[in-house]
Amino acid sequence: MLRDITLGQYYQTDSVLHRLDPRVKLAGTLLYIISLFFFRNFIGYLIAAAFLAVVIKLSRVPFKFMVKGMKAILFLLLITVVFNLFLTPGEPLLSVWKLTVTKEGLGTAVTMAVRLVMLVIGSSVMTLTTTPNNLTDGMEKGMRPLKVFKVPVHEVAMMMSIALRFIPILLEETDKIMKAQIARGADFESGNLIRRAKALVPLLVPLFISAFRRANDLAMAMEARCYRGGEGRTKMKPLIYQKRDRVAYLCILFYLVGSICVGRLLL
Amino acid sequence: MGIIKTQEVVFEYIRRDEEGNVEGITTAVDHVNLDIKQGQFIAILGHNGSGKSTLAKHINAILTPTEGTVWVGGMDTSKEEKVWDIRQTAGMVFQNPDNQIIGQVVEEDVGFGPENIGIPTKEIWERVEESLKAVGMYAFRKYSPNKLSGGQKQRVSIAGVFAMHPKCIVLDEPTAMLDPNGRREVIRAVRGLNQVEGVTVILITHYMEEIIHADRAFVMDKGRIAMEGTPREIFSQVEKLQELRLDVPQVTLLAHELQKRGIALPNGILTTQELADQLVPLGKRGN
Amino acid sequence: MSLILDHVNYIYGEDTPLAVKALDDICLTIPDGQFVGVIGHTGSGKSTLMQHLNGLVKASSGHIYFNGEDIYDRDFDMKKLRSRVGLVFQYPEHQLFEIDVFSDVCFGPKNLGLSKREAELRAYDALRKVGLPDELFYQSPFELSGGQKRRVAIAGVLAMKPDVLILDEPTAGLDPKGRDEILHQIKNLQAETGMTILLVSHSMEDVAEYVERIIVMNKGSVMYDDIPKQVFSHYKELEEVGLAAPQVTYILHELKKRGLDVDINATTIEEAADTVEKALKVSC
Repeated sequence: MLRDITLGQYYQTDSVLHRLDPRVKLAGTLLYIISLFFFRNFIGYLIAAAFLAVVIKLSRVPFKFMVKGMKAILFLLLITVVFNLFLTPGEPLLSVWKLTVTKEGLGTAVTMAVRLVMLVIGSSVMTLTTTPNNLTDGMEKGMRPLKVFKVPVHEVAMMMSIALRFIPILLEETDKIMKAQIARGADFESGNLIRRAKALVPLLVPLFISAFRRANDLAMAMEARCYRGGEGRTKMKPLIYQKRDRVAYLCILFYLVGSICVGRLLL
Repeated sequence: MGIIKTQEVVFEYIRRDEEGNVEGITTAVDHVNLDIKQGQFIAILGHNGSGKSTLAKHINAILTPTEGTVWVGGMDTSKEEKVWDIRQTAGMVFQNPDNQIIGQVVEEDVGFGPENIGIPTKEIWERVEESLKAVGMYAFRKYSPNKLSGGQKQRVSIAGVFAMHPKCIVLDEPTAMLDPNGRREVIRAVRGLNQVEGVTVILITHYMEEIIHADRAFVMDKGRIAMEGTPREIFSQVEKLQELRLDVPQVTLLAHELQKRGIALPNGILTTQELADQLVPLGKRGN
Repeated sequence: MSLILDHVNYIYGEDTPLAVKALDDICLTIPDGQFVGVIGHTGSGKSTLMQHLNGLVKASSGHIYFNGEDIYDRDFDMKKLRSRVGLVFQYPEHQLFEIDVFSDVCFGPKNLGLSKREAELRAYDALRKVGLPDELFYQSPFELSGGQKRRVAIAGVLAMKPDVLILDEPTAGLDPKGRDEILHQIKNLQAETGMTILLVSHSMEDVAEYVERIIVMNKGSVMYDDIPKQVFSHYKELEEVGLAAPQVTYILHELKKRGLDVDINATTIEEAADTVEKALKVSC
């Protein structure tokens, strides 16, 4: 059912990675993804894979959870491979019917596929080891320099965290309204596209009304508890770097410099 | 002056039709005078649309009066610069438990208020612990609010307000969406805060059995205060309560019915025990 | 038009580590025209049970028969069942969506494939049955009061002309007057049409006056199934599972314990006053 969807996909366990400051994980993931686009040769990817393997091992999250995340992008992966394989001009390798596989095409297809897989697994290590809450906290603090450019960092983080809290509530509500309309003979499953879109009206109108009512109530409740934006607020759980966070930063730096040097410059 | 005082408070709002033309003016609160002392347990009763929730929102400066004045801890609520002090003095708990919890973990939600008013981190943790213990929810501090029952969520909301150390807590129909178990839990928590912590409580409800322990009760109708007194004084006027579309506990109703049939009973019986104490001697006399 | 539940089990989240037994071996027969109260606190399985009766939730095992037909048979018409067993959800006003009251009530009958005229006739009839004043028919449902919205939502189900009407906590969130009005209306409806009605509630006092049978649900199974007087005689056991008999029951038991010869089976104020008066007169 609808409520079985888990967003953020946090995997509850205790590991070094779980305890790391979310800013380290955010920065690490970002740098890791960037590194993937620098490699010019095979060895670079090998180092990246080894690094990822160590991180996964440290996270104590079963590998099958990472693979689960891959299912969602399987289709995207397939398209990327097919397009690159057949549509890259260059030295022909073999021809089937009107399609030609080129040597360059094969190379690009493999590289893209490897990048994509590592990118997705790399980011899912972050989401699996960080609670959504922690993640928004990390983003708020990590993006603080952007305030200079008038980016409402605190507000964006607050909105994300409220959204995360209300997603399960609204999913449950959707489920309930859907059932209530089915009990009144509504049919959400048959008919052509236009009919189906029309059938959603009895679901969407009540859902929007409910969402607005909740937003209104919540705004009033927040004001009643003296919320007035990020100014002058203290934190119950402030983010403070520990020794392990500094060590983690060093590891990431070491990986970055090492892998790019090897992957780009050698050979 | 008491902690909360209202003088000739009137609140009007303008009804408009779809084009925005004025259709009429509704007076939701009509010349209300209250004077509530620190530490009291006050109940405000009334059916839906009687103006009781509108009045409650004045105490938290969510609404300000059209006419008259509301003072909270001596501060006039119409003075805009005082609004945050007022909200810190008089906290508010709302009806729908889902729509007032902000945190994704119980303890973080309770910490939300203290964070907003700039309490240092260490003290926030102390306040969160103390508040959750006061409402009996400390064991659930690491839970997601979505996993709690309605009564438990309301207790978290109450803890969230209490953590801001208000002098007064206004509860706007906190039990209307709960089942009997949840209702009992919430009322017990509220009474605890009043008796143990000395917080002034203003409980708005339409459940009569929840006001039995109040020091004073007000019944609202059409924006005015229609009845005022101790719960016993209020309950002794069964017919008037029914006229005001309120429920009377069955024990009071039964006593009233027996009175009508000529059995000598005092007015305003509130508990089963009291009724039995009165009836048993009447039955034994004949033996 | 009877409903029969035969060893119905429902496991929530089957095949997951979080599987919970929501319904446990439910066997019930609900004959034609009965007015039944279903009582239980939140999480007792009462709402889940009701959603089985019109096929919104499918049992993990067991059978449900509607007029002798197994609703889980492959060729059974589920859509038809939903029109015959009307289910009014808790806070049903949250499902209103049309621009005016009348169109909203027409939604159900139109889904049944009825002509516009027939649907409108039924909508009109249903709105009259719930006692909504004519002048509100063409207003937006969102401008009505809480009690009025709820009537419109109930009419929306009634307009499908079900044989069985299930109401899940129809009085939740209403004030005492609104609650009494809705309950009276339901009682009248039952008297007028003779339809089977299942009234789900967590309050014994609410249903005691109206229903002829009470089913008490606890932890997914049927705890008691009897006439109200019999059910209330178990008031101590009811209390243990977080439910309470009407206050009158407690008063009469207390009086009896302290030597007054009252009939402990009275459930309404009237009956209680009668028996207390009698007991006092006898002893005088």
